[in-house]
Amino acid sequence: MLFREILDRFEREHPGIKVKDETLPASTDEQHQFYVINLEGKSADFDLLSMDVIWVPEFARAGWLRDLSHLLPEDERKGFFPGPMDAVTYQEKIYAIPWYVDAGLLYYRKDLLKKYGFIPPETWQELVRIARHVSEREAGVYGFIWQGKQYEGLICNVLEYFWGNGGNILKDGRSVINSPENAEALTFMRALITEYRVTPPLVTTAIEEPTRHIFGNGRAVFMRNWPYAWNIFEREGSPVRGKVGVSPLPAFPGKDSASTLGGWQLGINRYSKHTEAAEKLIKFLTSPEVQKKLALTIGYKPSRRSLYQDAELIREQPFIANLHDVFMRAKPRPVSPYYMMISQVIQPEFSAAISGIKTPEEALDSAHRQIGFILEVEK
Amino acid sequence: MTERDRGNRYVIPALVLLSFVTIYPVFYVFYLSLQRRLLIFDISRFAGFGNYLFLLSDERFWNALKNTAYFTSLSVSLELLLGLLIALLLNRPFRFRGGIRAVVLIPWAIPTVVSAKMWEWIYNTDFGVLNYLIGSKINWLGSPFWAMNAAVFMDVWKTTPFVAILLMAGLQVIPQDLYQAARVDGAGSWFVFRRITLPLLRPVILVVLIFRTLDAFRVFDAVYVLTGGGPANTTETLSIYAYKVLFQTLQFGYGSTLSVVVFLCTGAISVFYIKLLSRGMRQRDRNVPPIDRGDIPVPPAREIQVKQ
Repeated sequence: MLFREILDRFEREHPGIKVKDETLPASTDEQHQFYVINLEGKSADFDLLSMDVIWVPEFARAGWLRDLSHLLPEDERKGFFPGPMDAVTYQEKIYAIPWYVDAGLLYYRKDLLKKYGFIPPETWQELVRIARHVSEREAGVYGFIWQGKQYEGLICNVLEYFWGNGGNILKDGRSVINSPENAEALTFMRALITEYRVTPPLVTTAIEEPTRHIFGNGRAVFMRNWPYAWNIFEREGSPVRGKVGVSPLPAFPGKDSASTLGGWQLGINRYSKHTEAAEKLIKFLTSPEVQKKLALTIGYKPSRRSLYQDAELIREQPFIANLHDVFMRAKPRPVSPYYMMISQVIQPEFSAAISGIKTPEEALDSAHRQIGFILEVEK
Repeated sequence: MTERDRGNRYVIPALVLLSFVTIYPVFYVFYLSLQRRLLIFDISRFAGFGNYLFLLSDERFWNALKNTAYFTSLSVSLELLLGLLIALLLNRPFRFRGGIRAVVLIPWAIPTVVSAKMWEWIYNTDFGVLNYLIGSKINWLGSPFWAMNAAVFMDVWKTTPFVAILLMAGLQVIPQDLYQAARVDGAGSWFVFRRITLPLLRPVILVVLIFRTLDAFRVFDAVYVLTGGGPANTTETLSIYAYKVLFQTLQFGYGSTLSVVVFLCTGAISVFYIKLLSRGMRQRDRNVPPIDRGDIPVPPAREIQVKQ
């Protein structure tokens, strides 16, 4: 495996250090549970851990991560994207090093937009107009698809509309989820399905892969998804090869577009007995050379900004140049040690709102009360 | 030492063990339910009945309670009805009866998680055999209306055999001479069922109801594997809610509050059934054999004459 080759190189460069890698279950929820159980039990079985962008404040608050501020001097921090740096910083200390980045993107069909004389939309309203126009004239083609199942990905989708309308979930450590901006954004998402009819009801149970399949078979004009889909669309034999464009997500008129940040960070287990070796490995894995190698081989998007001007990388993967601006604007989900609990209570509320079981206002009010109860514990 | 004293002494080890594994945890959960406790952040403080107050205004709790009540009442009544039907059929003599009895038990023998995974595929919108057979494109587990009913259906499929087997055992202890006597008196089969089978089966039916209601009320694995509580929590039962709060977000305080409420509900259900059961027992003791009370009225003499 490619990743093993990289670890072998590290072992050659650092005689005396042996690295063992273990694969965790594919579901991020199960990975989270694995870490929580082992770290709460003060396990020293692993030294390095790879963390989803939403876990770092929680793990830091629980005291499970080693402070890594000294690994990233002030001037080196600017070389990383600001979103991931936010996500790994807890109470002004850095607890993990951003390893690779992900963010929501708008995929569109270049050929169809050109055929009907449109340019990629900058506002949601334009997107609706184009999606309607094209899908009414192209048989069997949906307007706009996204991920609406009750799971973490739904929060990523919804937040992009909240932010794109000037809303948010938390502000200064308190819930502001029941704001009029958020209600308006959520109403718009529901309207995509019911009123504008550009989004098929199937999105309310869809995660990334089903939407990627539909778009990849040429059956949608627009899709919100993560960067991974690009390489699959450009493979030989793909029905949409050469017909796909990407742009930052639209926003509401007069507001700034934002996309939800994903990606993984490397941290060190507080109970590790090999901290020096672990720090060397983190430095190695997050170094520009290794990030570039991972981008070229596995397709991980580097967390260091300079690599997006790297001539060789751009030549091999021209797509990557588009991503710099999107990643610069990508925002982390609420950076709070309580995020995992908050996510648990807002997922069903968002799901109820977009599938029409509750009105957006009811769902947001209920979410507001439940977040309040969770945060009360700090008092 | 009297016989009685010795008896008491012999049960002490069992009582100690029982109190250790059941009574102590029950009280500990109740104690936890009065706390705001987050183990991983070392937060633990007394909150009095704060958790219970929040529970009263917690829509998600009421929704879970509603879902649980719906699941329990629908699945238990269907299982009882179908189970009774199957038990009556299997109680009649016919060829391959032993084999058929064994086959009926198969759904009950499959581990719940396995059968839930199996049904997840049966219900699959695109590749599921159910949509293939009825030629539809219904999103069984994704639509708020169908999801809960799909879970009920799976549970009925899985647990009806258990109900049938228990009822069959009950049928077999009903003395055959009662049926013979009824037949001699010319009673029709519906009449025999109403006046002999059903009253004598009553204690077994109540036992079945206790088992099934309690099991259904605490349902976790079947629904959790099938839907995870979605869509939009329309299939989230109390146990799933408690699990998510306790183990996915590690809020031990509120999670325990939810568990205490589940415990109180199941407690109330058992008390209700046990009352019914003991009343039934007393009644039966009084009426054995039921024919004496005139449960089967003697048909008019004329009819008998016609038969002769």
